[in-house]
Amino acid sequence: MSQSLEKVMDAVDVETLLVCDSEAEGRSLMLDILKGFGFTDVDVVFAQFEGPGVRIRGRAYVHRPADKYHWLQQAGKAG
Amino acid sequence: MRKILLAPLDPVHDIGLKMIARGLFDAGYETHLLPPDLTTEEIIEQTLQFHPAVLLLSRTLGYGVAENLARMVDLADAAGLRDHMKIGVGGMAIRSELAAELGFDAGFGQGTSIEQVICFIEGTEYNPEVQRSGKTKRNLTDGYDYAWRHAGIAAKVDRITDQIIDWAVQRTSPGVERAKLRDAAWDVDLWRARMGVGDFYKHYAPLCGELPMNFYGGGQLHPKTRRFSQQEVDGLEQYLTETKLRMSVQSLRHKRPGPLVFNQYGTGCPFMDIGHILASEAWGADGVIHFDPSWGARTEGLLDGFLTHQEDGTVITPANLNRIQRALEPSTLWQVRAHRGLNTPETVVLAGKIGADLSKINICYGSLAAGTDPARMTVDGYHAILYAKQYGMPFDVVTNEELSGVPAHKAFAGMLIVAGLARKLGARPILQPLFACSPEVMVNGLMEDNYIDFNAAKVIALRSILNAPLWPGAPVGFLTHTEDRVQSAMTTSLHACLAATLNVDAVSIASTDEAYSGGPISAPAKIDTLRAVQEGFRFFGRAGIAPTDQAQVFADQLVDGIEKTLTQVLACGDFVAALHAGCLGSREEGAHPGRAGKDSVKSKTTI
Repeated sequence: MSQSLEKVMDAVDVETLLVCDSEAEGRSLMLDILKGFGFTDVDVVFAQFEGPGVRIRGRAYVHRPADKYHWLQQAGKAG
Repeated sequence: MRKILLAPLDPVHDIGLKMIARGLFDAGYETHLLPPDLTTEEIIEQTLQFHPAVLLLSRTLGYGVAENLARMVDLADAAGLRDHMKIGVGGMAIRSELAAELGFDAGFGQGTSIEQVICFIEGTEYNPEVQRSGKTKRNLTDGYDYAWRHAGIAAKVDRITDQIIDWAVQRTSPGVERAKLRDAAWDVDLWRARMGVGDFYKHYAPLCGELPMNFYGGGQLHPKTRRFSQQEVDGLEQYLTETKLRMSVQSLRHKRPGPLVFNQYGTGCPFMDIGHILASEAWGADGVIHFDPSWGARTEGLLDGFLTHQEDGTVITPANLNRIQRALEPSTLWQVRAHRGLNTPETVVLAGKIGADLSKINICYGSLAAGTDPARMTVDGYHAILYAKQYGMPFDVVTNEELSGVPAHKAFAGMLIVAGLARKLGARPILQPLFACSPEVMVNGLMEDNYIDFNAAKVIALRSILNAPLWPGAPVGFLTHTEDRVQSAMTTSLHACLAATLNVDAVSIASTDEAYSGGPISAPAKIDTLRAVQEGFRFFGRAGIAPTDQAQVFADQLVDGIEKTLTQVLACGDFVAALHAGCLGSREEGAHPGRAGKDSVKSKTTI
């Protein structure tokens, strides 16, 4: 995990408009994007398809509750 | 009186400077505001005539502007003005670093406060924390005398609550016995001083169910929980120390004194909760609500230790509650819910000892929509109310059985019975009507035109019955949220604004993850709705939202329905029997008398 990602309290959301043909395609594209960023715990929180594409929000959990949070281990170190 | 010259170094824009000029004038300075579109030479000329202590310029950044500002500084230097006069510059996109680079004494960007400018003029240090941390804790029940305003309903509630007291006072349960032991034998000061709790657990464990008994007997944890490592505990302490140094709290309110805004935490992990609470406080939440796991309510007895949980709901243990309480800002109200299960009275005792400000108790909701046996919930609820009084904790009486399909008038009848019982026992209840698009609303089309009238009707109806504080929840806008972040923030804000314009005392709000079920709620999702509510409060100020005439029609129907429901409860002759009979919510309406703790109520004479 990069030092920057260690500072994420819980999740990273990615919101965008994807040019595609359907909501299903948009969802698949968003998951690909998140996995391409190197995230593994990924999901689509919201998707709304209209003619031009899908308005979509993907989420990658960096720290889920009960994980060991890097931002606690990093406390005291220069950010 | 110090003289301040204000000059817009801009062909058109001077609104910001006008606001600063007004603020300085109100603060007692002699101000002189020049018109826009003067040349730098003309401003210098005016400065030489006026002899100000401070010259404040404004300018929107754009092509060539930096050169123009630098020229202004050069001319002021050449005229010898800088020896006895400070120059500040403000405007969109002005940063203090840029201002210093150009030779100004200070730079002010967007959102500059008048206090910040005064500190510059006076040469004092600007401390935004002083401006942002002016919140203090408020008791939501202050000013309410709990006087009945509806004689018919008052008389019926009086008879029902007499019957409840007569019945409950002769009975006990394992939950009541644990609460009694926790109250008498668990010394929070000794525990905090790590001096032990004597033989408390020797007497406590036998009163517990299997899970806590295995925990106290053999150290066996719930499968979804684990203890924190020392490294994690040390990391939290360091994180808190560092964060508290930077911490300040915003206020969401604008011109109105209320409502206070609460949000819920309960990620499962008390350390993640603390991260979420700090974010909520910083972005303006006035109070936070502890949400425990659903299995906790069905378990006889509480666990102990620093425990984190992999699923929704943070386990109630003394150590978890204590660490969370100590992390709260002094102005934050803290509610620990006790309303729905087998640990209701003991949770009130523990929360009271650890320092909670508020709790949550409702016998009817716990019995009909949260899975607890009605007799057990009644005897435990009765004792929980007595402990809430003893520990000085007001509590809300939640009506979330509406979400199961129970009509509002029946849920309200139940709420008023519990509130009436609390009133009689000397406790301080808070009425919690649900602002929601409930099943009753959907089936009967009660919100086909708007979300305002039926919610407003609830407030109108309750105010016509009892003079008690009101805290719509929980959260406001329930079942109107979608996974769309913008929509979710918007509907939360509008419901909160409706509550504000109805002058209620508090609201509970959700995050924008309310309708998302794929994972835990994120911290930014909590901030989304706090920001939306703040913006809504700013928009409405002291202005109102006007319900249509239909709101009064709905309110009259609610009051009528409440009275009829209470008549049916009285006809049953026994409150617990009335819960089983569906008087306060039937199986057809989605209310199912719970079974947890069934047959665990004992007569005091037989134990």
